[in-house]
Amino acid sequence: MTTTRMELVCPAGTPATLRAAVQAGANAVYCGFRDETNARNFPGLNFSRDELAEGVRFAHDHGSKVLVAINTFARVDDVDIWKKAADAAAESGADAIIAADFAVLGHVAKNHKQIRLHLSVQAAAATPEAIGFYAAQFGVRRVVLPRVLSLQEIAALNRAIDVETEAFVFGGLCVMIEGRCYLSSYATGKSPNLNGVCSPPQMVSYDEEPGGTTARLSGFTIDRYERGQPVGYPTLCKGKFKAGGRTSHLFEDPVSLNAGGMIAGLKAAGVTALKIEGRQRGKGYVSEVVRAFRKAVDAVEKGGEPVDIGRLLAGQSEGARQTAGAYEKKWR
Amino acid sequence: MRPPNAEPMLPGFVRQLFPAVAGLPLGPLLTLSLRSLARRRPSLFERLGESRSACFGIDPVDLAFAFRVVPEGQRSSVRVVSKDEAARSDVQIKGPLLTLLGLLDGTLDGDAMFFSRVISISGRTEAVLALRNTIEDAELRPADLLGLHGILARYVDTGVLGALSVARRLVDKNPSGAREA
Ligand code: SF4
Repeated sequence: MTTTRMELVCPAGTPATLRAAVQAGANAVYCGFRDETNARNFPGLNFSRDELAEGVRFAHDHGSKVLVAINTFARVDDVDIWKKAADAAAESGADAIIAADFAVLGHVAKNHKQIRLHLSVQAAAATPEAIGFYAAQFGVRRVVLPRVLSLQEIAALNRAIDVETEAFVFGGLCVMIEGRCYLSSYATGKSPNLNGVCSPPQMVSYDEEPGGTTARLSGFTIDRYERGQPVGYPTLCKGKFKAGGRTSHLFEDPVSLNAGGMIAGLKAAGVTALKIEGRQRGKGYVSEVVRAFRKAVDAVEKGGEPVDIGRLLAGQSEGARQTAGAYEKKWR
Repeated sequence: MRPPNAEPMLPGFVRQLFPAVAGLPLGPLLTLSLRSLARRRPSLFERLGESRSACFGIDPVDLAFAFRVVPEGQRSSVRVVSKDEAARSDVQIKGPLLTLLGLLDGTLDGDAMFFSRVISISGRTEAVLALRNTIEDAELRPADLLGLHGILARYVDTGVLGALSVARRLVDKNPSGAREA
């Protein structure tokens, strides 16, 4: 079991959300630049160079850290965009860069030794050998764990490596190997981990039709909603499709991750940091989730009664249904 | 209790008053206030990216008229238009006036209002998303739109936000208003 206090790492899509997350009790906030170098490249989201520098000042004044995600994979003819983003993150005084691409990792390791390197979940490194390689080659200090490992596997992994681990505890789930999504690339012609978007909004439409609303992505029907029924964002893998004469959530139910009940287990498994997903979410959502997790983490750190996070956050998860994901794999 | 997706409409008598408001030069006044906001906070409009030149049709369903807004920084424009004209914009956002105002000042969450169908959106989704994220970050107060500062701004913010919250409570207590529409 780790003796240091676990770090709560929270999302920020805009400067206002960064401030909200810090004020709600985030130990660290992660964010990205307003371009294709980060895996949440949505219109109106993310930070300019100046906004990042200001955000870093605000976070540091309040005792929080800023981690900058430059975590998409660089294009062979444009690696400079990614390198320049890393230079700007280092200049801003941020505490760490979260990256997955060898070009970015190598560039930071060589030119910005003062800034920590965290291995993005996009690298999907889940074995001591893979993690050891990144640590030896680039001096990676922390690895964000792919959402496919059970608690036992995380504990075994932590015993075999000497870098910190960060585990997702709340938010959306992706059924592919962390963004390597042929489904989305096929339908939209864009790759989540090259262009930083899954279900790009310019390809999304909500069409009012006689029977209700149809949500489409790139012309493909993803879901239909009766009049007045709550609608969802058309994420391909969470859509309803017809197969074998039956209409169902063919790939994945629209559930989201809530490992709020596993904080003590994750600590016992040697995890250093807990990550909340959702840089695309608003500041109201981020404040509420961060506040709830702050309470829960503090309770675990004090050895007190666990906090019922499901009750605190009822209604804040996608489709209002939650899962503890792979952490609770029972079938092994 | 109001069903989750019922629209909190303005009571009938308030709606009756609005045709008089329509007589005011609302469009030019709002245009001026948007342009002055762009002078004071240019980064806010930069966040909109390419969607700055998109035309947003804002249709408060409890009013007899709608707005066409092009948020192009210092060249922004707001026009009072018919509902039909608003429906021909790049993006159409429809909802009860108090909800739309609540989105603007951040009292209400845009995602929640959209996914629960209190507001409806059609047209260019990327422009809607850019606008939603921009408003989220802007933390606009009524005084920002009026270009006020200092103590006067504080009074105006408290007064306007207080009045809006009272209006929302009144409307919430009068669910029949939702069915009147
Ligand atoms: S469509 Fe689903 S599986 Fe594919 S990248 Fe998006 S969330 Fe992941």
